[in-house]
Amino acid sequence: MTAKIEEPSSDILTERKRPFLKINSHWYFLSPSILLVSFFYFIPFLLVFIIAFTNMDQKFNWQFVGLINFLKLFTLKDPLIPRIIKNTIIYITSTLPLTIIIALFISLLTTRINQTASLFFRAVFFLPRLIPPVVWGFLWMWSFEGTRYGVFNSILEGFGVSPIHWLIKFPMIIVICANVFLGISLALLIFTSAIASIPKDYTWAAEIDGASFWQISRFIIIPLLKWPIMTMTAWHLMSFINSYIYIFLITGGGPYHATEVWALYGYNAAFKNYKYGYGSSIMVVLVIINLILLVVCLKTFGMKRMIERSRIEI
Amino acid sequence: MKKILGKYLIYLLLFLIVLPFLIMYSAFFVQAFSRGISLGFIPKKLSLSNFDFLWSTIPWGLRKTSIWNIFLNTLIFASISGFAVTVICTLTGYALSRIEFRGKTFFLSMQLILHAITGQILLIAIFFLLFYTKLLYKIPGVALARASLEIPLGVWMVKGFFDSVPWDIERSAMIDGCTRFQVWYKIFLPLIKPGIGAVFIWGFLFAWHDFIYVYTLLPGTAPLLSTLIQGLLATEVVDYGIIAAISLFYILPPLFLFIFLQKALMKAPIMGGKGMV
Repeated sequence: MTAKIEEPSSDILTERKRPFLKINSHWYFLSPSILLVSFFYFIPFLLVFIIAFTNMDQKFNWQFVGLINFLKLFTLKDPLIPRIIKNTIIYITSTLPLTIIIALFISLLTTRINQTASLFFRAVFFLPRLIPPVVWGFLWMWSFEGTRYGVFNSILEGFGVSPIHWLIKFPMIIVICANVFLGISLALLIFTSAIASIPKDYTWAAEIDGASFWQISRFIIIPLLKWPIMTMTAWHLMSFINSYIYIFLITGGGPYHATEVWALYGYNAAFKNYKYGYGSSIMVVLVIINLILLVVCLKTFGMKRMIERSRIEI
Repeated sequence: MKKILGKYLIYLLLFLIVLPFLIMYSAFFVQAFSRGISLGFIPKKLSLSNFDFLWSTIPWGLRKTSIWNIFLNTLIFASISGFAVTVICTLTGYALSRIEFRGKTFFLSMQLILHAITGQILLIAIFFLLFYTKLLYKIPGVALARASLEIPLGVWMVKGFFDSVPWDIERSAMIDGCTRFQVWYKIFLPLIKPGIGAVFIWGFLFAWHDFIYVYTLLPGTAPLLSTLIQGLLATEVVDYGIIAAISLFYILPPLFLFIFLQKALMKAPIMGGKGMV
């Protein structure tokens, strides 16, 4: 943030133009965004809590049933819930470390090689951000198609191997990979720019002392990247907990709920089975988890630091 | 010797990680321009027949529509969203950059917090909200809902552009008798053209790429390119050639827009204009 500059006392000039109706001028500027944001954030925020206490279905009857939806969730009356929780834990505990580690690894490697080559590799890894979600989902779904028309099966066919039903045999792994490589595209951008801003003297000095690539990375670069790594971890933790679009596109939660995570279960309950009330109660749990995470993040990072995102502490 | 070996090892490692993606991307392109693929990316028979959808009809549910109809829907959806994001962010960004008011820091931090709570998990409530305000299944309503997602970060982006404009310009305009709004409209908007372009692309691109809002809140009534591709994927007999071709058709327009706008934006006198600063 730039230094705060004192505002010129020019309001004195505009003062006499509005003698009676005294609305401060900033309200003209702020009201559209306040209106839209409150309409699409705050009202839905309250609404999702209200709907969670009804048994809303496709008939759209507002019938309040109290805590029944939540009891169904927490007393495991829904036989799928343990499975969903297990899936979610597997999904998050594998996507998050994989994203950070692979992104860090690639960024360390690409900063060591010459410019053109590293630009090429980074471009390939950044592409998932530029591709629409539907096309990214389509690419994965098609590449791991079970028949011989799938990309990887057609390669296997060339070697005389019969087609493998990737999406039925390893659905979770494919879903995790698709999300990890999407997460990497952002993390890689942050990490490479952070590494590039580390003064070259440090690595040169270490090289003269005979440090290997591994030692330089382990003892010089990674400690300096502490800040970007922490922010990216927090960022991706939140995005992975909430993300269900790519799973929805690639497997749709199937086969037999093998890849259905918490957020997707809430979505499917509402829009596939038309149990809007139950779906909202699932989402309410997610909203509360989000709020807790947000408070934790703000406590650890601090609002001021959050504003200047990728920073290196030297 | 060891060092050179190490360098080659790095290339090899990177190449191995990149390889599956290169295969995927090349298969995608090859499939779009050929009848089929073998061994991943070797075309079986090159042809442009996959692009026949450009002048023939495509099935949408039980009806048939033209791709241009769907393209127009998507364009309208993305433009409304981009336009709303641009107008709102430039207004709010100006106030946050230039005017002191109570609760400013709260407002700024609120934007960051909002960005953390994604709209995806509030989708059920947004569905009901749009249903009761009669905006559901209509492009403008859903486009506005989509635009609200991009506002928090867009405001921060535009605020940065406003911050870089010197105070003296504003002072002299106000001494000459401009009101706040005139300053914003006549002085600032021409100066931050690149910022406006950036935030418009931002809003446009995310709306153009959006899937889950469109799929949930606009089903059936108004097909968009993203829901069309998903619909084709969900059918019994999937023709990957056509889907690859439509996907390519879907990816390209934002790129053109970006190139086109970038050229226009580069010409804008940002700071080095005569008599400025």
